[in-house]
Amino acid sequence: MSNVTHYLPVLKNPLLLRSPWSRLQKRFLGRPTSFPDYFQNPIFRKEDQAKLIENSELSKLAAVPVRPPAVYETSSVYHDPLVNKVINHVMEMGKKKLARELVEKAFENIKRKQIERYHLASSPEEKAKIILDPKTVLHRAIANSKPLLQLSPIKRGGITYQVPGPITEKRSLFLAIKWLLEATNEKDRTIHFPEQFARELLDAASNTGKVVKRKQDLHRQCEANRAYAHYRWQ
Amino acid sequence: MSIFIKYYKSGGLNVAFSNKIWRYNSTSADMAINKGEEEEEFRVLDILKKRQRQQRRVNRRADVQPDRADRMPTDQNWGNVWPGPKTFHPSSVPLPLRQGYVPKGQAPPGKKANAELMKIPNFLHLTPPVIKAQCEAIKQFCTEWPKLLNSEEAIENHYPVEIITSDYCHASPSIRNPLARIVTLRVKLSTLKLDQHARDKFIRLVGERYDPETDLVTITADRCPIRKQNQDYVNYLLTACYHESWNFEEWEREKMEEDMEYYNWDKNPSKRSLVNWYLKTQNQSKELSDEEYSNYDVSQIPNGEEYKVAVSSYMNDGESEGTVEKYGEAVRKLLGLPQKKVVS
Amino acid sequence: MISRSWRNLCRRYSQTVTFRTTESSPSQHNEKQIGLFYSVNHDLCKQLFAYGGLPKSFAKQTKTFTETAIMVRQPALDLIDCIKASDFNKPVIRYVMYGEKGSGKSLTLAHLLHYAYEEGYLIVHVPWVSEFLRRVPRHKEMSNSQTREGFVDLPLDVAAWLLHFKTQNQVLLKNTELKISRDYVWSKRESTVAGSPLSQLVEHGINRVKYACDVLDALVYEIKQLSNSKQCKTFVAIDGFNGFFCPLTRLHTPTKKKVKPEEVTLTGSFLELAKNDWSNGVVVVTADQLALPDDHQDSYLPRYLLYKKGFELLDPFVPIEVGRYTDKEFLSCASYYRDRLWLRGPPEIETELKFTSACNPYKFMEQCAPL
Repeated sequence: MSNVTHYLPVLKNPLLLRSPWSRLQKRFLGRPTSFPDYFQNPIFRKEDQAKLIENSELSKLAAVPVRPPAVYETSSVYHDPLVNKVINHVMEMGKKKLARELVEKAFENIKRKQIERYHLASSPEEKAKIILDPKTVLHRAIANSKPLLQLSPIKRGGITYQVPGPITEKRSLFLAIKWLLEATNEKDRTIHFPEQFARELLDAASNTGKVVKRKQDLHRQCEANRAYAHYRWQ
Repeated sequence: MSIFIKYYKSGGLNVAFSNKIWRYNSTSADMAINKGEEEEEFRVLDILKKRQRQQRRVNRRADVQPDRADRMPTDQNWGNVWPGPKTFHPSSVPLPLRQGYVPKGQAPPGKKANAELMKIPNFLHLTPPVIKAQCEAIKQFCTEWPKLLNSEEAIENHYPVEIITSDYCHASPSIRNPLARIVTLRVKLSTLKLDQHARDKFIRLVGERYDPETDLVTITADRCPIRKQNQDYVNYLLTACYHESWNFEEWEREKMEEDMEYYNWDKNPSKRSLVNWYLKTQNQSKELSDEEYSNYDVSQIPNGEEYKVAVSSYMNDGESEGTVEKYGEAVRKLLGLPQKKVVS
Repeated sequence: MISRSWRNLCRRYSQTVTFRTTESSPSQHNEKQIGLFYSVNHDLCKQLFAYGGLPKSFAKQTKTFTETAIMVRQPALDLIDCIKASDFNKPVIRYVMYGEKGSGKSLTLAHLLHYAYEEGYLIVHVPWVSEFLRRVPRHKEMSNSQTREGFVDLPLDVAAWLLHFKTQNQVLLKNTELKISRDYVWSKRESTVAGSPLSQLVEHGINRVKYACDVLDALVYEIKQLSNSKQCKTFVAIDGFNGFFCPLTRLHTPTKKKVKPEEVTLTGSFLELAKNDWSNGVVVVTADQLALPDDHQDSYLPRYLLYKKGFELLDPFVPIEVGRYTDKEFLSCASYYRDRLWLRGPPEIETELKFTSACNPYKFMEQCAPL
């Protein structure tokens, strides 16, 4: 665990400096799209636009062709690229509307549960500890369930060893969201997805529950296999 | 000895074949040389017969004249060059036309031997100077446009019936188009002399063809192959509907309340309920007959007239926010309730 | 319990809240309180709305907010003024509430029920007509009516409704001056004698589910008699009245024939109540798009929803429009949600939500849910 170094994401485009999550939004699709590659991504957040005006780089961007923003890219106060990513992972068969409704209902469930807990809590200190904002709960849950190392299978001398190694930010985020969704889908037939998802998120945010256990198991396994770490460079 | 080897190739000249046959029909002197050759090496079996391919000799005329178009003066009378409709002839047209499918990396095909240009009808016989000359020739047979028909209203007053036809021109050798037979007749219903029953009957007969917003009756005919026939048919339809709508049939007496095209408040249960309500407020509960209901004078009931007007407009003018509000106001006045307060 | 008093303590010392009013009696509400929330007592809520009356989404909100708060709005005040100004010797006046989906008709009706309860009316409240006619679980308890040929009964539904009626009018039914005027013979051994109290009739209907629909008919007749003779004043509230005039219901007989609303006994009973041949009462009815099947939901205006039959039955009625939130009401609602911890974030949210929800109360509530 002590050998792990975190790499800060090196931002190629200094314009998209809003948050680490805005790097998720590159929109370079492998398939041919309506807009050729030399088109720039749109800057739709008011803060980013204000920054452009400050740096007086707006005139440069105004002369360059720009792609139009997608439907989920809003300048609203509630825009969160992580929430959009989670909705995309929940989505199956391209049913974005359904995926969004499920995630929104899950947020509603989280809110109701937390408000109930808030009202039942007796002292102001306890009340202050309860997070009422579902987006914050989501962020915390994902942060708590992100693994810091991963095991890669490396074959040496006929035996496949599980070798611990570094993990990129992207993969780590992907694994966190995937584990959360897998845990949710192991639900009972009679329980609805939003309810189960809300439960998983709340558990993960408080460092309990299936997903965090899975991450901790992975870390333990990595620790146990640290002898094989040099197999990465043979 | 002679060996006959016959090759049947498409379009090939027989000159080469006879050469071949001649070779095998050689004299004895050549035969000795050939035999000597044959003894040394094998004959090469020419399976693919590549040597047979010769250049196709195109027979071109050596004395081709330059185009007539190159020698045309620019101030000639074009009407004499192209007097009538004619298929496109590239050498007679002094224009550098390029038309047709453009293969990649090349220019559009030129006018010589261009099937596309030849397929389509051209209007080179109808250039503006030619048309002008034709108009001048026809003018002696024409009269002037009447001076008093100078506005749309005047035209509508004197000539209310409009006949609309369409002519077509498309990429084909023929100028005939089956769509050209369609004839539409448009007339405003207010110009026809109809009383209320006749108007209602006319609208029911004509059905979908009447547009209440613009008050236009549009009758379209395309069932005959010729435009003139369709025109006659359309005129016939208009006349027939007009005269039929003035006729009164016996079975029209059986028109029920549901068939009425407008709402007549007197004959409807709305009046009945109002009268009943009023009688109850006066503490008289009588059972009036149908005629008494319709003959009951509404002006006895305070605010009754206003209510009647409101209900009639609610039903006849369609339902919208405005009519509902008016109805609400009228009912409140009738029942003695305070009006709705407008909160800013 | 401790948390609630702590919260009340906090509230007393907090800043003046501009979205609440302390006036909890609807008869005292006036224009000064438009846009402000008043909370209904918890026990009263249970008594009036135990078996329906509040929309399901609103009931969930009451659980989260730990209180039932209704906004005082202009249509409700308008209706209360009209009721106060109306003459109870004349035949009953019918009011039809109409509006878009989610604009607050059922909650206005709840507000008026509270008012009626305070003023001591006998409440006849049908929470949602489509529950009877369009909610068909796997097996719907239906039977052919014995007293009327060819009619269909819904015994369990009517018995449940009689229980609801009893809970709402507990207080009035306890005072035994409300007596029945004629005999009702149910079978050889069971009968209700003239002069017995109304509560006995209702009890009989609840206990003997088989005769529930006939009890309902009898009850309607008795209520009319009692109102005419000035022994009690009646408040009839029916939500989704236009459901009675649909061409077809979702019910079907054992022979798979579809049932029309006129062939159901309880339709007849409630339509009798909505007629204006009795006096000393108020009839408030809502015309709701959701009570009809999806293909007839083009407009929210009353004549379209009530069909010809309904219009002729109710004419002349007073149409009352329940519209969207005004700016003041919207801000008040937003601050109430913030207070109840339902909405949080910077103030720009208000402008955004006003635009996306178009000030429609239900849509606003829906859109605040995940935020």
